[in-house]
Amino acid sequence: MGELTIIGLSEYGLVAGPNVLLTYGLGSCIGIALYDPELRMGSLAHTLLPTAHDVAAITVKTAKFTDLAIDIMVDELVKSGCAKERLVAKLAGGASMFDTEYRSFRGAIGQRNVDSARKSLAGHGIPLLAEDTGGDYGRTVEFHASSGLMIIKSIQKPGKTI
Amino acid sequence: MRIADLNETELDALREVSNIGMGHAATALSQMLGKTVNLRVPQVLVTDISKVPELLGGAEKMVVGIYLQILGSARGNILMIFPRENAVRILEKLLSRENSRGGLLSELEVSALKEVGNILASAYLNALGTMLKMTLIPSVPVLSFDMAGAVVDYVLVDLAEVGDQSLMVETEFFEDDEQVKGHFFLLPDTPSLQIILEAIGVLHG
Repeated sequence: MGELTIIGLSEYGLVAGPNVLLTYGLGSCIGIALYDPELRMGSLAHTLLPTAHDVAAITVKTAKFTDLAIDIMVDELVKSGCAKERLVAKLAGGASMFDTEYRSFRGAIGQRNVDSARKSLAGHGIPLLAEDTGGDYGRTVEFHASSGLMIIKSIQKPGKTI
Repeated sequence: MRIADLNETELDALREVSNIGMGHAATALSQMLGKTVNLRVPQVLVTDISKVPELLGGAEKMVVGIYLQILGSARGNILMIFPRENAVRILEKLLSRENSRGGLLSELEVSALKEVGNILASAYLNALGTMLKMTLIPSVPVLSFDMAGAVVDYVLVDLAEVGDQSLMVETEFFEDDEQVKGHFFLLPDTPSLQIILEAIGVLHG
């Protein structure tokens, strides 16, 4: 395994094989991985909110918003030499951490994050290869640039590789 | 008003208000556990939203998080974080029996911890409301037992919608032998922060 870099809340990173990006404790947040299998290069973001309402007001490039994060990642990957038409995506997270009755309060933020990511990926024409989303538990995600695999660990559930 | 613009007097006022609120909450917890519960001096933590999981001891740390919304004249969130082993000790004291140490919490244990959260938040908000002459009501508590990062992200949604910074008034409480320990966070939303500071009478400008 190569070098490991930790991606925090509302951050994103670029990675090339054999290196690994890691993000801890996704709850309603989602981990979005974009990958160019030919170059073995990709990006992982840890996003908090589904959509940016006031794009003009956003001055700092962060991965706080799911839709904007995907735009930024695609941009940066293409700039680094990836071909947009080769990019594929994987998603993890988007849970509802608290009891069901609370979900309606803010309209299931986790699910809205997942929906926003799917929509944004479709808009870019990037196929969503696999996802591990929903549920009521947190996820820690490793994204391996050498294989494009996402290794998902939870405390309450057995691990999973997508 | 921007969180970054708060001056020292305003931060002091928030610490003091929280200290009084937490004093009442600690008394309630002491009575419930039959032990003295102490407080540390509250801190006002102004930080980038992306750094909040680190303040809770790291995004991957296992915690019990009890979350309530503040309803009434001012809005915001209350989050109580108990490190896993401390939540287990609270349960031992409350339920007077060995609990399921290994894995998940039983329904009874979840319910007991929510009740602890409810009592702490009610005492805290009641004291705050009396002092500020406003009505502050806690919502029904909800609980999550998971990684700190996963527990807290939902709570940050309100703040993240309007900015990149969070303001949390944090008070640590602990029993004499440190068997029971937890963190109490008040996260007013930005308009409510203004309402609270106006009510204390320290809002500048």
